[in-house]
Parts: sequence; structure tokens; C-alpha cells
Amino acid sequence: MLAYALRRLLIAVPTLFGVVLLVFLMVRLAPGDPAVLLAGEFATPETLEAIRARYGLDRPLPEQFLIYLGALLQGDLGESARSRRPVLEEIKTYFPNTVELASAAILVALLTGIPLGILAALRPGSGLDLGVMVLALIGVSMPVFWFGLLAILIFSVQLGWFPVAGKGTLAHLVLPAITLGVNATALLARMTRGALLEVLSQDYIRTARAKGLAERVVVFKHALRNALIPVVTVAGLEFGSLLAGAVITETIFAWPGLGQLLVGSILARDYPVVQGAVLLVATTFILVNLLVDLLYAWIDPRVRYD
Amino acid sequence: MTRPWRRFRRNRLAQAGMFLLGLYLLGALFVPLLAPYSPYTQDLRSTYVPPLAGLSLRGPGGELGLYVSPVFRHPLEGVRVDWEEKYPVRLWVRGEEWRWLGISGNRHLFGVDGPVRLYLLGTDEQGRDLLSRILYGIPISLTIGLVAVGIGLILGVPLGALSAYFGGRVDLLIQRLVDVMLAFPGILLAIVLVAILGPGLENAMIAVGIAAVPIYARLVRGLVLSLKALDYVEAARALGASHTRVLLRHILPNALGPILIQSSLQMAIAILFAAGLGFLGLGARPPEPEWGLMLARGREYLAVAPHVATFPGLAIVGLVLAFNLMGDALRDALDPRSR
Repeated sequence: MLAYALRRLLIAVPTLFGVVLLVFLMVRLAPGDPAVLLAGEFATPETLEAIRARYGLDRPLPEQFLIYLGALLQGDLGESARSRRPVLEEIKTYFPNTVELASAAILVALLTGIPLGILAALRPGSGLDLGVMVLALIGVSMPVFWFGLLAILIFSVQLGWFPVAGKGTLAHLVLPAITLGVNATALLARMTRGALLEVLSQDYIRTARAKGLAERVVVFKHALRNALIPVVTVAGLEFGSLLAGAVITETIFAWPGLGQLLVGSILARDYPVVQGAVLLVATTFILVNLLVDLLYAWIDPRVRYD
Repeated sequence: MTRPWRRFRRNRLAQAGMFLLGLYLLGALFVPLLAPYSPYTQDLRSTYVPPLAGLSLRGPGGELGLYVSPVFRHPLEGVRVDWEEKYPVRLWVRGEEWRWLGISGNRHLFGVDGPVRLYLLGTDEQGRDLLSRILYGIPISLTIGLVAVGIGLILGVPLGALSAYFGGRVDLLIQRLVDVMLAFPGILLAIVLVAILGPGLENAMIAVGIAAVPIYARLVRGLVLSLKALDYVEAARALGASHTRVLLRHILPNALGPILIQSSLQMAIAILFAAGLGFLGLGARPPEPEWGLMLARGREYLAVAPHVATFPGLAIVGLVLAFNLMGDALRDALDPRSR
């Protein structure tokens, strides 16, 4: 297990390095003077000079990258071109909100997607199965922003049950969490159904049934345990995607998270903040993937010998 | 190839998907005839007109038929209809000039014979006909999907095939590149690319296309790896076939099925992502009738005019659903074990 963990960790390092390189190149690849991109359009010549000196923009690219990497390792992500605050400070205020939203969304997906998938798998081919699968297919095909707008329209504007936008009470969290979770819910329902159906067709289940065990015991004690392993793995990976998917949901509900910061910064061409936000989401995603992989290998030892 | 195809045609999911996609394709082909107006014509006196406003089933003399009365937005009193004036809705009417695919004309499948406009799905914030805008959005979304999937295929398939076929350092290098791209989950990679390229419809298409590259590369790598190990490939090599010939003639044709499945699903994803970029203000620019962008404008006046956000969303769901249905059905047809 330790050897496997080390190997996985070693693979993650070059990926992380590549991500940092790509984020570094973002500003250098984008059309325009990198100094202007980093300092903002309305920067004075003195500020531009200071930025050039700070990032070594007159030096060769590899050297610039080393400077960037060195600053990064000290937690220096640069300074926002808009607010002139350190990027790290900006991100610190927004990131926890995104984590809160994504956690609530994955909870919604787990608590509704898995039971729906089980219900469908228990009666394959029935009306219930068909209904769940059609709903899941629509759920996968629905743009998050449209679902969010409909939710606001029905539950906030018409019924007045929930606030239209913003963050504060638990009621503020309900609609954004469901909106962000709807695609993941559909995905988990489809996965759970598929995995459970496959497990139920295996020999050891037939043995369990032949022993005369109650169907409930066969499904919940014998089958579900094995069927849920891949489902939980996908849920873990999905959590990382939700952090990124939150970009759109946050915009709809004016949720003060990293996604809103990211989009606002792209539109304002505030590149240091864009770099910082992208770097943070990608790093979190890599780490979550790593954790899920290790967890998977721990639950199912066969994985380690691949 | 015939048996999977027959299975595909008999599949209910496939039939539903093909029917839906057929509707959209017809819509895209005949858009200027189906749309009563140009997607850009404004009518600032009639902003946010609700669907079906001003329509009546009785003419000025009480005769039966479909008639339209002028609809205005009064600054204080909201939408007002002038029921005194009535004009008949007719088929194949002369209307706004259009040019489409090199053909021009002024006929429309239906329209009003008179100095008023017909708003079946209502109007948006500039008094543009929502139905016409949604119809003109079909070719835009289909193009986005095709271009994006094309980019994904052209770059991703060779990358994956080379990676698997040659292995070693080539494989290592390409796989690390794929890992880095996949470290930006979901729509984030497309957002990063738009941040580099700059916002706009063309750049959004390129960004969504590049975001599909690692997915194809990984898929094709796995397929080629498993095919490469088969005896017939070794036999072809032993008979003196070149690497290129083995890859193109013996390996890739057998990988076509899964690539086709992925492409159908990828069309769905590309259309969703591009609409998402449009919604965020990073994709198509006004006044383009792109669905994501239309939804973003609808969001601002959700309480006053919910139809502006509702109908473009339905259009997206239908098209994405069509590709998802076909992708699912293709998977069932090509890999019967998956059921």
C-alpha cells in the first residue's frame, strides 16, 4: 500500500508542475504586453516598470518561470490588478464559500442519486426504472444555468420559499446546492444502477439467494457493498469537478465564491487573480483525485497490482 | 457493421434521438423560411412581450381565423394590446429579406399580412422576436459542436494512437500532457483557454475543442493498447506492413465504434460548454442569437419576462438530449454486454 501511495504521489508531482507551467504561460501566451496584463490597463509607467522588475519580464522565459516558481513556493501569487490586494488574500476570502457550495452539492447528489439508482436497479425494465433513467438522462443534458434560472423563477420569484441570490442563511444554500448537484445526481443514479445490476448478476449473489437469504439482505448486505465502491470513487472525482462547475452556479446565484471571482477577473483582464484561482482549483482537483485513488486502493486491494 | 446498425435502428432511445436531431437539422437548414423575422430586427416599442400576446381567434368582422393585434409596452401600465386593429396570420407570406447558404428571398413559412409583428414566443429586451432568435441559434450551436468535436478528433486521435503504438518516451510525454490538461476539470479548461485566447464565439469553439483533446487522446490510447496486443496486428507487422499502414488500416478501423460513441456524447458536452461560456460572457457576443448568451440576458429580467430565459434553455436541452440519447444507443448497439 505504501509503495502504491508513493508511486501515485510521484505521478502527481509532474502533473502539478505542468499545471504551474501552463498557468505561468497563460499570461505570456495571451496577446499583449505581459506587464500590462499583470498590472492592469490603467497602470502608470512606474507601476509597469516595477512589475517588469518584479517578474523579470525582460529576462529569458526559463528564468522568468524560476522567479514565478520561487515566489509561488513562498505563497506569493502576485497582486490583483483591480484591488491591489495580494491574490492570496483575495482567494482566501472566496475559496471557502466554493468548498461549502460544492460539499452541499455532492451531499445532495449522494443522498438522491444513489437511492434512485438502487430503486431503478431493483426492478430493471419497470416503469420506475424507465422513469428514473429518463430523468437522469435529462439531468445530464440540462445546462446548469437553465436549471438554476428555473429554480429561481419557481421557488424564489413565484413561491417565495428561498432567497433569489446571495449568501447568508441556510436557505441561501438550498437552491445553489441543488442546481450544482443536479448533473452529479443524474450521473450517480446512472452509475449506481449500472454497478448494482452488474453485481446482482454475479455468481456469489446467486449463491446467497440459493441459500434462502431474504432479498433485502442479498441486496443491501451482499450486493450493495461491492456495487458502491466504483460509485463512491466517481463521487469523489465528481467533487473536484463540482469545484470547477461552481463557476456557473455561483454566477447565477451571486454566490461569493472562487468561480465568480474567476469570471469577474477574466472579464476585467485581472490576470494575477485568474492565475491564482485557476491554480488553486486545479491543485485541489489533483489532490482530491489522489486521495480518491488512495482510498480506492485501500478499500479494494486488487487496484494496487495493476 | 450491419448487425450493430440494425440494433441501433431498433433501439427506442436511438429513434427518439434521431427524431429530435432530425428536427434540429431541418430547423438549421430552413431557418430563414421557418423564422418569421431576422434575429436582429428590433422593435423598441414592444420589449418583453409575453408569448402569444396580441393573438386572437376572431377577425375584425367576427370571422374565425388567427389574427394579430399590435402589442406595445407602456412605460407604466405594462403590455397593452390594441384590439381595434387586427391583421390575419397567413402561410407563405412576403416579409423581411433574407440570405442563407447563398440563396436569398423574402418568403416566410408564416407571418402577418399587415403592419404588425407576430410574436409566438414573445420578445426580448430589445423587442426582437424570440422564436426567430432561437431558430437562428440552431446552426450556431450545431457549428460549435461540429467544430469542437472536429478539433478534438483531429488532435486527440493521433496523440492517443501515437502514444499507445510507440509507447516509451513518446507515451510518457503525451500522457503527462494529457494529465496536465485533465487537471482542469470540466468547463475550467475551456475557461482557461478563453482567458488566453480572449472571449468570442470563434475562440469559445476552439477552447471547447481543445478541452476535448485529452479525452480523445486517453480513449484512443486505451483502445490502441488493447488492439495492439492482438495477434492479427503482429501478423500484419510480420508480413512487412509499415507502422503507418498498421495504425491506419488495421488498428484505427477497429477503434471507430468507441470513438463514434464518444463523439456523440462529446457533441452534447461541447454544446453545453459553449452555451456555458456564452452565459458567462466569455463566448458569443451580442447581438449573436446564441442560446447561452440569450439566457444570460433573460436572467437580468427573470421576474418581468421569464419566457426570455425559459425558451432558449429548452432549445439547449433538446439538442443536448438528442446527442446523449444517440450516444447511449450507440453504446448499447456496439457493446451489447453493457446492458
